[in-house]
Amino acid sequence: MSFLSSSKVRFGLLLVALSLLAAACAASASNQMFFGKTAPPAGQVMRYVTGSEPESLDPQLGTGQPEGRIYMALYESFCEFDPKTMEPIPAIAERWDVNKDSSEFTFHLRKNARWSNGEQITARDFLYTFHRGLSPELASRNAYLGYYIKYAQPYNEGGVFVRDPGNNSYLLEKDFAKDEAKTAAPAAETAEPLTPATEYTPTAEEQTPDPDTPHHQFMHAPNRLVLPADEAERAEAVKDNPKLKAALAGKTFEPVKADDMGVEALDDFTFRITLTQSAPFFLGLMAHQFFHVVPQKVIEKYHEAWTRPENIVTCGPFKLKSWKPYNELIVVRDPNYWDAARVQLDEIRFYPMEDNPTIMNLYKAGEVDGVLNHTVPAAWLDVIRPLKDYMDAPEMAITYFQINITRPPMDNVLVRKAFNMAVDKEALSKWRKVTKPLTAFSPEGVFPGYPQPKGDKFDPVKARQLMVQAGYKDANGNYDPKKFPIDQVEITYNIQESNKAISEFLQAQWKQNLGLTLPLKSMEFKTFLQSRANLEYKGIARAGWIGDYLDPVTFLNLFTTPKGDNGTGWYDPKFVEMLNDANRTPDKQKRYELLAKAEAYMLDAQPVIPLTTDATSWMKKPYVKGMYPNPGTMHAWKFVCIEHDPNKWDYGVPDMTSKELPICTK
Amino acid sequence: MLRFIIRRLLITIPMVLIVISITWGLIRLAPGNFYSGEKKLPAAIEKNIREKYGVDKPWYVQYGKMMGSILRWDFGASLKYEGQSVNEILANTFPVSAVIGILAYLLALVVGITTGTISALRQNTKWDYGAMGLAMLGISLPNFVLGPLLVLIFSLTLYWLPPSRWGGFFSLNIIMPVITLSAIYMAYIARLTRAGMLEVLRSDYIRTARAKGLRERDIVFRHVMRGGLMPVVSFTGPALAVLVTGTVVVERIFALPGLGNYFINANLNRDEPLIIGIVAFIGIITLVFNLLVDIAYAYIDPRIRY
Amino acid sequence: MKDEDRITDEKEMGQREPALTPLGVPAEPPVRTRDGDIIHTSPELAVGEADVRSAEAGQHLIAGTSLWKDAWRRLLKNKLAVFGMVVVGVMILAAFAGPFIIKQATGYEYSTVPSNPDLLKSLPPFRNPDHSFSWTHPMGTDNTGRDILARVLIGGRISLMVGIISTLVSLLIGITYGATAGYLGGKTDNIMMRIVDVLYALPYMMIVIVLLAFFGNGKLIGNVGGNSAYGQLILLFIALGAVSWLTMARIVRGQVMSLKNQEFVLAARATGVSTARIIFRHLVPNTLGPVIVYATLTIPTVMLQEAFLSFLGLGVQAPLASWGSLASDGIQNIAIFPWQLIFPGVTMALTLFSLNFLGDGLRDALDPQMRKV
Repeated sequence: MSFLSSSKVRFGLLLVALSLLAAACAASASNQMFFGKTAPPAGQVMRYVTGSEPESLDPQLGTGQPEGRIYMALYESFCEFDPKTMEPIPAIAERWDVNKDSSEFTFHLRKNARWSNGEQITARDFLYTFHRGLSPELASRNAYLGYYIKYAQPYNEGGVFVRDPGNNSYLLEKDFAKDEAKTAAPAAETAEPLTPATEYTPTAEEQTPDPDTPHHQFMHAPNRLVLPADEAERAEAVKDNPKLKAALAGKTFEPVKADDMGVEALDDFTFRITLTQSAPFFLGLMAHQFFHVVPQKVIEKYHEAWTRPENIVTCGPFKLKSWKPYNELIVVRDPNYWDAARVQLDEIRFYPMEDNPTIMNLYKAGEVDGVLNHTVPAAWLDVIRPLKDYMDAPEMAITYFQINITRPPMDNVLVRKAFNMAVDKEALSKWRKVTKPLTAFSPEGVFPGYPQPKGDKFDPVKARQLMVQAGYKDANGNYDPKKFPIDQVEITYNIQESNKAISEFLQAQWKQNLGLTLPLKSMEFKTFLQSRANLEYKGIARAGWIGDYLDPVTFLNLFTTPKGDNGTGWYDPKFVEMLNDANRTPDKQKRYELLAKAEAYMLDAQPVIPLTTDATSWMKKPYVKGMYPNPGTMHAWKFVCIEHDPNKWDYGVPDMTSKELPICTK
Repeated sequence: MLRFIIRRLLITIPMVLIVISITWGLIRLAPGNFYSGEKKLPAAIEKNIREKYGVDKPWYVQYGKMMGSILRWDFGASLKYEGQSVNEILANTFPVSAVIGILAYLLALVVGITTGTISALRQNTKWDYGAMGLAMLGISLPNFVLGPLLVLIFSLTLYWLPPSRWGGFFSLNIIMPVITLSAIYMAYIARLTRAGMLEVLRSDYIRTARAKGLRERDIVFRHVMRGGLMPVVSFTGPALAVLVTGTVVVERIFALPGLGNYFINANLNRDEPLIIGIVAFIGIITLVFNLLVDIAYAYIDPRIRY
Repeated sequence: MKDEDRITDEKEMGQREPALTPLGVPAEPPVRTRDGDIIHTSPELAVGEADVRSAEAGQHLIAGTSLWKDAWRRLLKNKLAVFGMVVVGVMILAAFAGPFIIKQATGYEYSTVPSNPDLLKSLPPFRNPDHSFSWTHPMGTDNTGRDILARVLIGGRISLMVGIISTLVSLLIGITYGATAGYLGGKTDNIMMRIVDVLYALPYMMIVIVLLAFFGNGKLIGNVGGNSAYGQLILLFIALGAVSWLTMARIVRGQVMSLKNQEFVLAARATGVSTARIIFRHLVPNTLGPVIVYATLTIPTVMLQEAFLSFLGLGVQAPLASWGSLASDGIQNIAIFPWQLIFPGVTMALTLFSLNFLGDGLRDALDPQMRKV
């Protein structure tokens, strides 16, 4: 008996102690200006949590944002992201020219740009970078970003030109245009002939236009026909086109080479890119990590091992000091950087971590100075939002659910519309707090001037009417939920706290507004991806999309591939045509209007249920200056610094509109 | 002895190979791929990747390649972490897991044996009940509850210790993971020690020793301890093998770059070479530890001969 | 109590001699019979291993007519075990009746999300949103405003069910497999036990992923569990049972090996009773003592494993909860809503605590020779 009482006492004591602590904790969190400790580290050293372990230090291989942020310290391209707006600002290129229809870009490099080993960065390095990034051997998962460049897609896919050995000419796409869509070649427009009208006018700095070259002529010659290199695939591609099939007889096939791509180094400091289509957004894409310039000599010497700390050569404001996987990656200021005087931090320590609570605990304890986006759980916002170190802004990312339109009952557009209208997105946003309701497919408030179309509003009555129209009614013509095959529709999601919460919300909405209790189905991530990509899921699946560059096209492009890579099975050539029309329009506002029209057209088919525009939702300590909640949470590290004077700290979200960037007191 | 070791190896090595083969098959059966991600890749890019990593080859070629890699003890490059070889990952992560594990086990041994001994010597007293009650609590409190509670108290409220991350072998970061990890082992060793000691305390030779009038301290340290710790020794092998090869929960809670954390992520990433490498490595470690325990047994207990 | 202890101890010591095999040769020391093992033991499993060793040491359980009655009497004398039994009983009662009572009293269910958007947040225990005192949520609410007490109770139901059913699954497989291996002996036994060793060493998580992927997607044998959250639960029972029978098989094998050469078995064999009948009518009932003991200790182990799977996100389906999934949700919010972890965590620890005491008590009661570890 003696033990019983003593163990009870101990147990009781433990409980009391814990509840006391709990209370203490809750109280301490609510009465403060900042979350946890705010003592700045000594000197100019930044400790930052960047997300999951980087896949690689090779900017052309690592695909995620966590890698992207590290690459922004180590590498640069022609341009980089503005720290506030994420629009492209000059980096290694000091200026650039764009032709009239935005299909050709010429970059002028600065003469003082150097690698971390002191060697000069030239246009040839960029040529190598483009050739390498798109080569099938590198097998980069980001290679599709370069597909706008002329003949880049066939090169990456291993396509062939068809040459007539008789007169040494190539078969042209336009001669067989009828079957354009069926060939493996991209749905490319015929390039405009090279006339003075399509050339850019010389800018103030240069008196003459850039030189014309044989390669330039080739780029503006009519498009060559491209076929798959593999014989079986080729036979498949031409089987419905007797004219083409006949024309292939006696011809030789020439693989598309790296040199055939629309990239050209005109001299050491001038670089020209020719695209397959008009793409005004292409400049924004140039700041993407995939186009960061990489050192040819080092890669050719060490191959895969070139990114090891002892071999690596970089070109950004910082260079690699040490890398302990899963623990920390340290970069230090690079004196060879062209703008080294502007760099304020001496050192950045990137901590790879994935688990949000662990990250937030670390932040609260003052062990890190800033964290990546989406780290603050929605449920915490009541407590965190009033704090002055909380960073919030609309993000270039959306959350939506996609619908498998290939299976009944979801093959019926009426049912899809009804499901969409039966979800109260305002309520969802109000509850999630950190997001904005979304009825369209492009994020709201991220692209200034874009006349975003509005999708169907929340309307449960209309939703039930649509269900009646779709045939789910009783003898009296009233809506009858029992007729609906609920075993054919599951709400599928991959396990993660926020996904679970949103899925449960949807379940409750449809139960309330349509009388349907749909089953939830959670899956391990990779299992989920497979089920979604192969359209194996039943009904509805969670999805999210983060833009690659600052333009609505990065979202709308999701529905331009014929095989239904978007995971819904929806594809409409008319939609693709509408997008292409818009991109050919030189006027920015006009183009936006056309894009909005295309978006509305897609929404009308309702292959998705848009839910929210995400918000960045992260935190930084008040003494960190020069970090802004921009739409991608990508930080140009050279503008960041540690302010030791509390009077100059950020109390709240820093000013996002002024052009000025902070300089910290020494 | 040597014959015994050889016989053991002859049985276990093929078994490790079988385990690896089945694991390899399981990876193949699990849905998804190392390169699948939120953004579905264009078919051509997927094809390029499959060619680059040899995933397009028939299964027996891949299996042969995998088996070859084990025999050479060179597992090649990780599929997920471009530019890191599996051998390197093993070399970097194992020390972290091993240090945490060994420290935790040492702590468990010291505390567990002490409390267990006190319990046994003061059987059925308050000391005994108190210690055994605490031990039971240690066994019953899951480490994923204990760890966060420690974090809550010592990092988020008192701001004494860093809540997570690896700070090297001599840092404050190491304290909470070690305690969290050792709690259950502490408790278990205390129970094992107590039971083992009680058994010896009642044996004839201790009675004889007492009758001879030997000092109690000598009896306890020279005779009782030696026999009473046998169960602890046999527990040490498998337990230490688990501890040094990484304990997933603790490594996850404290974000430590250990083997266990990598293993879970390798599973979730379908990173085949890494999974195979870790499974093979753990298999060998377990084998070695069990062997060491058997040898240790022979030294402690003179009745055992091989 | 003390005196009785001593008497049992004397008995125990009398029987501590190595068991003799029929040929009169002392059996090998306990651990030797396990050569070639490569075992992955979690500390929980190690509980079983100590039992394996004592079981394989060839201790016989001599069943008398009053065995069960005796055991029950001994159990009732053990205060800690009674304490454990009472707590577990109360917990089971609460888990099965509690949710109904709460529903009657407050209208809440474990999955009830308040319709008032102001309540869609985590409230501390005994608090209203305006921080005034309230009896409505004695354990507070979770992120969606669901009552944690109701969730802890339903979580208890799931966790206890997982624990008990998976243990039964493991019993079924383990006894059959272990008894067969032990009785047949020789090469068959060797091969069967090596298979167990291999299964021990396989990456457990990969197995669960594969099981859930295949059976959950209807790829292999149709959709076993149907679509509901309970469907996934059935899969979980199978998955956990399928990986926790290994130690059980070892114990049963050890027991059967020590029993199979006794007179009653030899007699049965001589009278031409079939092998299956010998195993299941004559041998298995005689192994039940240690098996029951081990089973009580398996329940907490399985519950911990389920909790661990939930911690990794492979456990029960929302909106159902288990203690493990509740604790893992709680960990997410520990920095500002610590009650979300503390209540499920402490409830779970208390139950496991009691189950362990009960298991210990049962072991002492059913098999006085097995030492109190």
